[in-house]
Amino acid sequence: MNVFRFYVSNLRITNGKNKSWKAPKKHYLIDFNLDANTENLIKVELPYDFKTGQIEFVLGIDSKTSAEGVGEGALDPVNAMYWTWQSGYINFKMEGVSMDSPARKNRFQLHLGGFRKPYISAQKVVLDYNHKGANPMICFDLVNFMKSIDLKSQHTIMSPSKEAVALSKLAKSCFYVK
Amino acid sequence: MSFAVFAFCLLKNNRFDIPGYIPQPIYPIPDNPSENDTVQLGRLLFYDNILSANNQVSCASCHSPYNAFAHTDHDLSHGVFDSIGTRNAPALFNLAWQKNFMWDGAIHHIEAQALAPLHDPKELGSSIEELIKKLEGSFFYRKEFLSVYGDSLISSSRVLKAIAAFELSLISFGSKYDQVKQGDAEFTEQEQNWYTHFQKQCNQCHAEPLFSGFQYKDNGLPIDPSLQDLGRYLVTGDEQDKYKFKVPSLRNLSYTFPYMHDGRFDRLRQVVEHYEMIESSQGKRHVDVKSISLTFNEQSDLIAFLLTLNDKSFVFNPAFSFPEKLKDALLKN
Repeated sequence: MNVFRFYVSNLRITNGKNKSWKAPKKHYLIDFNLDANTENLIKVELPYDFKTGQIEFVLGIDSKTSAEGVGEGALDPVNAMYWTWQSGYINFKMEGVSMDSPARKNRFQLHLGGFRKPYISAQKVVLDYNHKGANPMICFDLVNFMKSIDLKSQHTIMSPSKEAVALSKLAKSCFYVK
Repeated sequence: MSFAVFAFCLLKNNRFDIPGYIPQPIYPIPDNPSENDTVQLGRLLFYDNILSANNQVSCASCHSPYNAFAHTDHDLSHGVFDSIGTRNAPALFNLAWQKNFMWDGAIHHIEAQALAPLHDPKELGSSIEELIKKLEGSFFYRKEFLSVYGDSLISSSRVLKAIAAFELSLISFGSKYDQVKQGDAEFTEQEQNWYTHFQKQCNQCHAEPLFSGFQYKDNGLPIDPSLQDLGRYLVTGDEQDKYKFKVPSLRNLSYTFPYMHDGRFDRLRQVVEHYEMIESSQGKRHVDVKSISLTFNEQSDLIAFLLTLNDKSFVFNPAFSFPEKLKDALLKN
């Protein structure tokens, strides 16, 4: 795998008792290649009464932001997470090589996006957490993800489609809290 | 008395007089474009070959000011390294009234549009990353950005917003039709004949005063097997959208030939003949227009009316043409 990045938007943490904490930035671009050695990519400083609760975020860019044109910072099209031939952000991008992929040079390219009906691929993720001393980390189960996709038939996804939505839902299910 | 009249004329040239019968635009139109820094920066970028991979093609290569910013003489527009694209570059005017851009509406925000030709291998063949690097390496542009923004940061957002600002400033409401509407001129009998017909037969898709509702319609063009261009379907994936393209405005037709998304008609009379021969039922296609039947004289009336939609002042407006500053910069290099 040589590319793995996705957007995290509207990150919010609630403590189960009507208190919530919102991330300082609306959108983050998590890029595993760039931050290969960093574990906590978004630093979160929570008040002490947030021992258990829920973490929620949108995997991708919400439709409203997408409709507003191009942005800056994490939303800058320079990050190669924006479709140029048809507007819209790529919520989740994964590329690599696998012997299973029949595509040219055994490559697989999953560019999951789409913000208009009927193919809205941004997914809301809600995870429960329990802060037992160690800092909770949100992880992505790559093994599960790779096991659940069939690279023989789902190797090149580059536009809004049913498959893009299905894989986005799969990606959503691969997040967990450690 | 005469001084007051002179001052009024001066103001008229600088600001845009958008006639009262024109609906509210979707995008804000830049104030005082000739004084507006962002518009002028966008104008430089629009005409600068630096945007292309081989530094030989600019936006203006396919969107020529003398042709109402369309690409004449080519059915399919071409880009870097002589590559030929798949469609005819549309004219650029009154863009502020459009929601979606390109023949199939693939682009939903004007600021995102420039990315499409920038990245297309058959158009500018470059990328936003490459463009920014080039601009950062240019003393001329670093100075421009500094003067416009107060700092020399060259970001995608600034580049795309500047280009969009210039594009939004391309306003065209100076045709004879507009003068008639404002009580400053009269249609000839021939033009008036067709205007009456027009309001009954063509207004559904080519609604005045913009002369398009910018919807996606199938006007019965037989598909070109060498292109297989299914239009809006390529964006939405909806079967109902096959063969539908965005209805273009009928303004400035004399400057923007050839016509249709693939430039298949060189002359207006050919377009008119097409509308006389539309087959409404073409297999599974749902054609949105019925054929019209015209006598030769009526054809001439129709074309005479269409000619009243030409805005000569738009195509000759020095405010939109090649910027002097760029000429000097290019001569220095």
